[in-house]
Amino acid sequence: MDKLLELLKDGHARTTFMLAKELHTTSDDIKRKLEYMENMGIIKRVAIDMPSCSGSCSGCVSYDSCTVPSDEKVNCPSCMPSQELLNMGEIWEVVK
Amino acid sequence: MSNKTTIALLGQPNAGKSTLFNALTGMNQHVGNWPGKTVEKKEGSFTHNKKEYAIADLPGSYSLTANSDEEVITRDFIASGNADVVCILADSSQLERSLFMLADYAGITVPCFLLLNMADIAKEKGKNIDVKALEDKLKIPVVLLSANNKKEYKSFYEALEKAVTNKTCLDSSRLEDAYSNLEGYNELKAMIPEGVISNYSSSWIASKALENDSVVLAKLENTMSADDYKKVDDIRNAVQGAVLTGGAKFAWIDEILSGAVDSKKENVSLGKLDRIYTHKFLGKPAVILTILLGLIMSFIPAIPIMGVGMAFGSLRVPVAEALTSIGAPDVIISLLCNVVIQSLAFICQMLGFVFGVTLIFGMLEEIGIMARVSYVFDNTMAKLGLQGKSVMPFLVSFGCTMGGTAGSRVIENWGQKVLTIALAWAVPCGAAWSVVPMLSTIFFGNGVFVVIVAILITMLLHMWITAKIFGRGLVNAENKYGMIMELPPYHKPKWGALFRYVLGRTKDTFLRVVTVVMLVCVVFWLLSYSFVEGSEPILFRIGTAIEPVTKFFGMSWELFMAFIASSVGKEGALGVIGALYNGQNFSGAFYEAMGGGGVAENLNELLAANVSKPQALAFIFAITFNMPCVVALASTYQEIHSAKWTAKIAIYYTVVALILAMIAYHVGLLIW
Repeated sequence: MDKLLELLKDGHARTTFMLAKELHTTSDDIKRKLEYMENMGIIKRVAIDMPSCSGSCSGCVSYDSCTVPSDEKVNCPSCMPSQELLNMGEIWEVVK
Repeated sequence: MSNKTTIALLGQPNAGKSTLFNALTGMNQHVGNWPGKTVEKKEGSFTHNKKEYAIADLPGSYSLTANSDEEVITRDFIASGNADVVCILADSSQLERSLFMLADYAGITVPCFLLLNMADIAKEKGKNIDVKALEDKLKIPVVLLSANNKKEYKSFYEALEKAVTNKTCLDSSRLEDAYSNLEGYNELKAMIPEGVISNYSSSWIASKALENDSVVLAKLENTMSADDYKKVDDIRNAVQGAVLTGGAKFAWIDEILSGAVDSKKENVSLGKLDRIYTHKFLGKPAVILTILLGLIMSFIPAIPIMGVGMAFGSLRVPVAEALTSIGAPDVIISLLCNVVIQSLAFICQMLGFVFGVTLIFGMLEEIGIMARVSYVFDNTMAKLGLQGKSVMPFLVSFGCTMGGTAGSRVIENWGQKVLTIALAWAVPCGAAWSVVPMLSTIFFGNGVFVVIVAILITMLLHMWITAKIFGRGLVNAENKYGMIMELPPYHKPKWGALFRYVLGRTKDTFLRVVTVVMLVCVVFWLLSYSFVEGSEPILFRIGTAIEPVTKFFGMSWELFMAFIASSVGKEGALGVIGALYNGQNFSGAFYEAMGGGGVAENLNELLAANVSKPQALAFIFAITFNMPCVVALASTYQEIHSAKWTAKIAIYYTVVALILAMIAYHVGLLIW
């Protein structure tokens, strides 16, 4: 697992498939180790539910309603829907 | 509960504890909260073979490390001795992952047995599990069943009775052997007194101390002398214990499963498209080509809407004639035809691009292409001194800089956040993508694609130079870390949601743009209107005075005014152009427009007649790379909380935009 962590720290983006190839293991093995490291606070998931809002959407009560965390906001039609239109996969990064 | 045998159900979330609990207890259950916590406590009872059992459904948690309330409650319950036997549940369809709880339990001395749930799914996946082989290795009863099928529960009761009768404890010797090879473990274990936590062995406590488990460390601090605890501290600080013990646990799981579980080897490989996108050399060109194709495709849905806008613009002359014939005041006719109709015509044409770009890029995101774009550009981000996730605000900035600015809040490091925002400003926003292609089409016809490519290349260069200029003072090399991405599978877009979003975005852009364009158009129209016949308008006098300077940047004074207006919002530039380019001389422009004499019916022709191609190129570059808009400016301040840096970025972009305009103008002179 220390080799995996070294790879994660080297400043290059990799998919789980690429990590598995480099470490001569399977994607499932990489995924379970990522899950462990996430639970142990060694890596963390990057929030990719970002606002895509002009700041003056007619459905938003105010500017801030477009930028508050997704679990607290109600999307107006012109904000990127938080659940429906987001096929961005999952991203993790190493915690310092 | 004291007269009954108490079973505790232990497992990760979704291991099937609740299904088993409900099936065993039926109506004999009650739900409350664990003392002092908001975590749900479920207890119940059942009878089997005339023997009574109490059962506690422990909170679902990933492991037994004290990272959450759930994990602490679970550990405390086991340590308290309340459970006579612990039933550890694992998902048999993914044992390599789900046996982690069992590995984390190793070293706890409370009797236990292993329940491999979801046997039906494991069978569907072609996994053959040798329960006997697992029992031999673990030295505890193992049962394989599907908790949702009560007919299979006979084996569960047998395993339960066996565990209770024989007080079966998990054999953790192999795992302890693996631990003993870890740096610091043996020293640590030797220092830990027995009985620090009842029912937990010293090897378990040593492994948790290595993992920096806060509760275990607190217990050790209270139990040990200050000198001894200092040694514990030194040992655990010298190693990355959680990585070491985690590796040992996974290796132990693999050893347990070896020879006990057969499964079909899934030959997972990347699809053709992903092989290209993730290719070392082909990845970037493929992604750039995809973005360019996306931009070109955006024109297809844009064309019909642009046609409507142009048709609307052609109403200007007939409306002016009609109003003149009924004797309407000149100023009203001028305002209506040269401000309202002209602006709305421009806005309609712009909306075509907004609709097209939002639809195509929304579709690309839905399909999963944008995730690949983000992945491919991560290494580039690292070269700019940024983390991979900075690419996300950049992508959002293609739609709206304010959105990108707000999106930068996922970056905790302040310097990196400021740099991300500073670079996000260089990404042409949705408004730029609506104004620029339209102007480029007017001046360069089919050459619009060359202009767009030139803008994209300039954008990358701009970002690189900006990163070099601002990066030095904002980011350190040690802040750069890698990114792991699980690329999403490709799937068909959800058309309903996509169109709802695209139409919503187009409508809001329309409302915002109408306000900005109309306001700017009216202000500049007023400044350029001769209320006293024969006199020169204020704007004309200011403009001609500053023209020697503006020409230095390749722009006439009218274009320079439009450039200034683009700082409010890119759309504002169109409003100014609409107001200023309406005649051969400004004092009589609006009168001529009213009568239709001497004024071209189409503003496109007017622009082409009044502005040279090098000037147009200079103007296009100037407004594209000017500060995005006042909303983005306010949003930047809100995110970075520094008026100094906000002003720095704004001034920098204004200066760079003018320099780029000057370069574009001189390049244009060489070409035309």
